Amino acid sequence: MRVNPNTVPDILANLNQSQNTLNTLLEEVSTGKSVNEPSDNPAAAADMVQNTLETGNVDQYTKNISSVLNTIQTASSVLSNVASSLTQAVSIGTQGANGTESSDDLQDLAQQVKAILSSVVAAGNTSYEGSYLFGGTDSSVEPYTADSSSPTGYTYNGNNDTNSVEVGDGLSVQTNLPGSQVFSNSSNSVIGALSSLYTALTSGSSTDIASATASVTSALNYLGVQQGYYGNAETQLNSQQTFLQQDTVTLTTQQNNLVGVDEATAATELSQAETDNSAILAAAAKVLPNTLLNYLVAPS
Amino acid sequence: MGGLTTSLLAGMTALDATQAALDATSNNISNANTPGYTREVVELGENAENVNAVSVTGGGVSLEGIQSIRDELLNLQIQQQTSLQSSADTQSSSLEQIQNYFSSTGSDIASELTAFSSSLAQLSASPSDSAVQQNVISAGQNLADSFNSTAGGLQSAQTQADQQVTQTVAQINSLSQQIAQLNAQLDQPGNSQSNGGTIEDQRDQLVLQLSQLTGISVSQSSDGEVITTGNGSPLVMGSQSFSLQTVTGSNGFQQVLDSNGNNITSSIQGGQLGGEIAIRDQVVPEFLTQLNNLASQFATAFNSAQEAGFDSNGNQGQAFFNIPASGSAAAGISVALTSGSQVAISSDGSQGSNGNVTNLSAAVNNALPSGQTPANAYASLVFQVGNAASNASAESTAVGQNLTQLTNQQNSVSGVSIDEETTNLIRFQTAYEAAARIVSTVQALSTVTLDMGSDQSY
Repeated sequence: MRVNPNTVPDILANLNQSQNTLNTLLEEVSTGKSVNEPSDNPAAAADMVQNTLETGNVDQYTKNISSVLNTIQTASSVLSNVASSLTQAVSIGTQGANGTESSDDLQDLAQQVKAILSSVVAAGNTSYEGSYLFGGTDSSVEPYTADSSSPTGYTYNGNNDTNSVEVGDGLSVQTNLPGSQVFSNSSNSVIGALSSLYTALTSGSSTDIASATASVTSALNYLGVQQGYYGNAETQLNSQQTFLQQDTVTLTTQQNNLVGVDEATAATELSQAETDNSAILAAAAKVLPNTLLNYLVAPS
Repeated sequence: MGGLTTSLLAGMTALDATQAALDATSNNISNANTPGYTREVVELGENAENVNAVSVTGGGVSLEGIQSIRDELLNLQIQQQTSLQSSADTQSSSLEQIQNYFSSTGSDIASELTAFSSSLAQLSASPSDSAVQQNVISAGQNLADSFNSTAGGLQSAQTQADQQVTQTVAQINSLSQQIAQLNAQLDQPGNSQSNGGTIEDQRDQLVLQLSQLTGISVSQSSDGEVITTGNGSPLVMGSQSFSLQTVTGSNGFQQVLDSNGNNITSSIQGGQLGGEIAIRDQVVPEFLTQLNNLASQFATAFNSAQEAGFDSNGNQGQAFFNIPASGSAAAGISVALTSGSQVAISSDGSQGSNGNVTNLSAAVNNALPSGQTPANAYASLVFQVGNAASNASAESTAVGQNLTQLTNQQNSVSGVSIDEETTNLIRFQTAYEAAARIVSTVQALSTVTLDMGSDQSY
């Protein structure tokens, strides 16, 4: 069998292949990614689309949680203040209902209740970052305004709707309770109870004062339930935050598995490829110039 | 009866034959690096013996011819593999360009879809913040832009392939003509069909170039060599060549017609032309269709989510995206809204409600009518593009190795070995010297013979 006398194409093909491997490894080491274009690993590139989307969403959900937590904590502390005001109103009512107070004292107590009522209404009008906390979803108008035609002296301008904020895929947390539920509920109205206590103290009827004090107590209990809602939301948000932190770790790990480069392996392979490339070059340098002519004596 | 003349004649034939052998060797050395050159070997034979009553003497050497050494079967295999490789290379280089648009660059569809989804999640937490609202609009514009540029990348790969079709067909026609001309020269007397030498080398080289441009089939008939395209449309029949033509088809792309005017576009396979047509008519349209479906279904779903709510001015939501009525949805998609206040955030019309943001987010994250979420539909497209690019490049490598193997074999048959030629040079030099010595010896002997019995010396 005659041997192929022309080794040049062979050597070139080998060099080409070796150079190609070298380039690929160099790109992996320098970018730290094993998938730089979809053809490097089509399946991993496709999985990365979902990973990118989820990572972006988890980042935003985490930011949403901290912003919602601030809102909810503010609302919760507002309700705590209202609760202590109501406790104060209950003791004022009890004092007024024992029948020993003079008419002037009762007027004095009535003024105290009126001040508490104003502070509760102001609490109902609390705004956080430009939005009213207890106006339902209507952030543009003040929830409670004075209205002489209303039996309580105040009218509710908000709506009965609630907002929910996305804190996970398909998971939303309700972030507000409308004032119509917290302060002016039809069965347990905080504002209504305070207002009737004020009216009773002004009129001086012990029976009325006692009955109004009972409604304030009942409103206080009802407020406790609403506070509990915010507490629960806070707990839920905290646990979701923990979950999202774990999810971030999972997603980063997945990303590393999909497109990351093990630096040690890549560096070893790179140095191996360099050695291979040098070996081919050295072999070519030895083989290519050799012909019989090198050994023949030139004719004299 | 033999005589000095017999020896002289033998010496003369030896000089002739060795001269021819030296010619062949020199030609081999000078063409050692000529592409397509096949080494020549001198064929020598014994001349008929001189028989007479007394003795039998040799008649010297005769030059039977100079034979080019080639293996037609190997040539055919190399042509086929060349067609395959150049088709794979053409597709691979197109797909390399295409897949750049699907790489994770930060402005690809996946990144922009992520940014858009995040902007909506942020809107859910801060529905009244006008900066956050505006952010949704600009993220939407970026997403539309990324659809536009990806579709543009696919379309430009298609257009590029289409332009190359015309050029490739022109090259095919020019090669067919040159081959037919060489066939005509081979037919002329003095050039035996079996051993055309240089002309056949040239023709084989041109046929190899032709096989690089398109898949061909080569056969021999009474008319001489017949070359047809893969589906049988003639390109060359002996000394006659047939031109392919291109006309603009109803889809706006160049269609390839054979010499009889039949449209053979879809049956062309292999070679650059086959690769270009595959990219233009199969690979890219498949990707474009999916991208257009994704763009149009996503935009439609998002628009209906938008129309289910109310914007910050209390009006019912308008379409967020413009979807072109005709043509490519991905290439033409744009954002219809101009202001962040037009984003339909509210579900009840009140400013501050974020009730509709859930619907907007759902349009981005939930399944489209195709059954896949936008991210999954796009991921599947990324997979297909990556897979096609990786397959084309793997095929090119595999065929390339095959081709190297075949070329090695061909070289081992036809390639010029400098060592061999140098050895032959020495061999033929010695033979020539010896033959010349025969002539000079006979001359000396003739002189002696003529001098016999004469005073005069010749």
